[in-house]
Amino acid sequence: MSKADEMGRLIKAVWVFSWFNSCGFTELLPVVGSRWDMERFGLIPVSSPRHADCLFVAGYQTAKSIKRVQKIYKQMPEPRVVIALGSCTMTGGMYWDSYNTIKRLSDYLPVDLYIPGCPPRPEAIFYGVHKIVEHIQEMKTKERAK
Amino acid sequence: MSKVEDIARELNSNFGVETEIRGDNSIWLEVKKDPLILLEFAKRKGFGHLSSISVTDWIEEGKYEVTYHLWSYSDKLLLNVKTKISRDDPVTLSAISLWGANAQIHERELHELFGVNFRGNLDPSPLFLEGWDKTPPFKKDFNWRDYVRKELLDKSNKREKGYWE
Repeated sequence: MSKADEMGRLIKAVWVFSWFNSCGFTELLPVVGSRWDMERFGLIPVSSPRHADCLFVAGYQTAKSIKRVQKIYKQMPEPRVVIALGSCTMTGGMYWDSYNTIKRLSDYLPVDLYIPGCPPRPEAIFYGVHKIVEHIQEMKTKERAK
Repeated sequence: MSKVEDIARELNSNFGVETEIRGDNSIWLEVKKDPLILLEFAKRKGFGHLSSISVTDWIEEGKYEVTYHLWSYSDKLLLNVKTKISRDDPVTLSAISLWGANAQIHERELHELFGVNFRGNLDPSPLFLEGWDKTPPFKKDFNWRDYVRKELLDKSNKREKGYWE
């Protein structure tokens, strides 16, 4: 089945809310823009977490900003997916010995997918995005089985 | 006589402090006691802008050095006032009465990072480190690397093992 067909079987487009305070987002900008254009895969950036299905957390999070991410996550409706971008979200990356950044995002949020890279390239993000689509379809089949 | 020498001489005669002129527009001086009287005088002389307050940690001496950087828009001069306070009990008077919110943000930051108490500053709540109860992190005797290894990293985690080597 082609990628377009797979996307067509989703009920609605995947709406994305992005949260970032650092360089992990830099390669996501061409994905939003016309060069890579994530809208052709149905990914639409939204301005409120209450509309979002998917949360992109890009780059390191500080002890202060992680509390805001948790608030944003709580505002998102179910079913929701969290995608962490960049190596900083896995181990702290280049900030591994910084006292005020968190090291593992999954200690604070249920992360569905890590995309490695410093920052991750658009190709890697699209690969990750395709994984979300698979993930959503799995979720749908599980629901049907119930 | 140039303006910078003028002001340096005036500060010297009024407060009996040694002044040093560096470059063509900056004056450095150190006061032994509380610097607020001198700062108030400087503000009346045209140093209306408090560019920054900084703290240096002289751990061998057991002192903190608080430095006020003032800028005069009318004379294009920089005045740096240094004063030393005890490191174990770092208390000094707040400059809020002179510069208001301009001083508040610097003092709040220094309280967070060095633990300096500015008497008269009513809101010393942390800017960045919410819920921090350890040593103020910019002190030289705070070993942040040990802190991170102990509190935030996990040696048994395959990805993080390298941080102990």
